[in-house]
Amino acid sequence: MTGSATELERVATATGDEVLDEALHALDAAERRRRRLDVTLAVATPAALLVMWQAAADTHWIDPKIFTPPTTIARSAGHLIAAGTLQSDLAITLARLVVGFAVGAAAGIVVGILLGLSRPLRSAFSPLFTGLYAVPQIALLPLLLVIFGVGETAKVLTVVAVTFFVLEINVVRAVRGFDPRLVEAGHAYGARRLRLFRHVLLPGIMPAIFTGLRVSIALALVVITATEFVASTNGLGYLVWNSWQLFEPDYMYVGLITIALVGVVLTGIIVAAERLALPWLRRSRP
Amino acid sequence: MIVAHGISKAFVGRKAASVVALRNVDLCVDRGTFVSLIGPSGCGKSTLLRILGGLERPSSGTIDMAPGRGADATETVKTAFVFQDHSLFPWLTVLDNVAFGLRMAGVPKAVRRERARMWLARVGLAGFERHYPEELSGGMRQRLSLARAFVTDPDILLMDEPMGSLDAQTRLLVQEDLIRLWEETRKTVLLVTHSIDEALLLGDRVVVMTARPGQVKLDLRIELGRPRTMAITGERAFGELKAKIWEALRDEVERSLELT
Repeated sequence: MTGSATELERVATATGDEVLDEALHALDAAERRRRRLDVTLAVATPAALLVMWQAAADTHWIDPKIFTPPTTIARSAGHLIAAGTLQSDLAITLARLVVGFAVGAAAGIVVGILLGLSRPLRSAFSPLFTGLYAVPQIALLPLLLVIFGVGETAKVLTVVAVTFFVLEINVVRAVRGFDPRLVEAGHAYGARRLRLFRHVLLPGIMPAIFTGLRVSIALALVVITATEFVASTNGLGYLVWNSWQLFEPDYMYVGLITIALVGVVLTGIIVAAERLALPWLRRSRP
Repeated sequence: MIVAHGISKAFVGRKAASVVALRNVDLCVDRGTFVSLIGPSGCGKSTLLRILGGLERPSSGTIDMAPGRGADATETVKTAFVFQDHSLFPWLTVLDNVAFGLRMAGVPKAVRRERARMWLARVGLAGFERHYPEELSGGMRQRLSLARAFVTDPDILLMDEPMGSLDAQTRLLVQEDLIRLWEETRKTVLLVTHSIDEALLLGDRVVVMTARPGQVKLDLRIELGRPRTMAITGERAFGELKAKIWEALRDEVERSLELT
C-alpha cells in the first residue's frame, strides 16, 4: 500500500515538473515571437512609407516636383556622385566637423577639469561660460565672420564653440559631483596628486565625457549645417541651401539624407568607442 | 602597534560654529590585537580611524605607530583601509581592484596579479577576476574589499563599518570570513562598527566611545576563546558581555539623540 502511494507521489511530481517546463517553453516562445515582430516592424514601417511615397508621387497625388519620389532622388544622388560633387561636399563638411569637434572637445575637457578642481577658477569663469552657452552658438557666426573673415576659421569655430560648452559643463558637473568615497579610497591606497587624477578621477568622469561627446556631435552637426547655409560655397549645408535657391528639390533631398547619414554614423562611432572604452558600464548585475 | 595620545579633532561647521568630534582620546593597541570600536552615530569613531590612517590630521595629539623606533618610523608603518563596499572602483575589474594598492606601490604587474589572485582565492572569489564590482552581490563586494586590504600586507588594518551595507544573513557569512582571515594572519586590526554582536564576535578588545565629543568610555578585554565561530554568540559569557556593553552604550546613544 505504502509503496504504491510513493509511486503515485512520484508520478504527480513528474507531471508537475512537465507542466512547469511546458509553461516556461510557452513563455520563451512568446518572447521570441514578440522580438521578431519588433524587428519586422522597425524595418517594414520605413520601407512601406517609401513605397507609399513613390506611389503617391507617381500618381500625382502629391506634387512630385516638391516631394521628389525616392527613385528620382536615387538617380540624382547617382549624378552627384558621378560628378564627384557629393563626395567633395561630404569631405569638406566632415573636415570642418571633425576638426572643430576635436578641438572643442579637448578644450572643453581640459577646462572642465580645471574649473571642476579649482574654486577660484570656477568662480571666475563658470558664470561667464554658462551665460555664453545660453547664446545660440550660431548667433556668434556673424561676429566670428567679422573677426576672422569668410575663411574656414570662422566656420570651424562655431563647431568648436558648441562642442566646448557642452563638454565643459558636463565635465565640471562630473568633477564636482565625484564620489568623495572613491577619492578617499584612492588616497588610502597610495594614489596621490597626479596618480589620483590619472587612476581615480579620470576613469571616473569618462562616462560624463562620453555623454558630452554624444550630445555635442548632434549639436555640432546642426551648427555646421546652418553655418554652411549662410556662409559657405561648399559643403553639405551649402548643397541643401543652394538646391533650394535653384529649386532643385531632388538635390536637396540628397543633401538632407547625406547629413542624416553623417549624424547616424558619427553618433554610432562615439557609441561604439564608449562601449569599447567603458566595458564596465554596459555590464549589468547577474 | 598603535599608541595614540591626547587625540582631539574639531571641524569648522557650515555656519562657522565649530564641532568638536574627538576630545583627548588615548588609545593603545598592541601588535596583533583586534580592537572593536563602538559608539553612537556621530561620536567621531570614524574620524579617529581616519586620523590613525593618515587621511585626516588631528587638531591636537600624537600618534606613534612604531614606539621606540624614532619619529620617522611611524611613516613607514603600512596601514590599509576596508570601507563599505561602494568604495570599490567600478571601472576596474575585480582583479585590478585588488591589485590597486600594489600598483600604486610600484609592484611589478606579474607579481601584483599573482598576489591578487592568491587573495581572491582566499576570500572565495576565484573565477571572478574579470568581472566588475557592479556584477557582484553585496557580500562578494565586501569580500573583495577585504582582499584589497589584505593583499597589501599592511601592519595595521583599519575597517570603517565594513559590513554596514550588508543584509543580516550575508553579514554573518562575511563576519565568519573575517574571523578566519584574521586568525590566519593575526594583523593589528581596528574595526569601527555599530553592532555589539559584531564587536564582540571579532574583537580581542571592545572600546566603547561616548557621544560627541568622543572620548573612551569603556575598554573591555574579551576573554572568549579562539578560534571563534558563530556558536559563541549563544554562550552565557557572550550574553553577559553584550549586556555590559549595552549598559555603557545606552546612555551615550540617548545623549547623541539629544545632540542632533
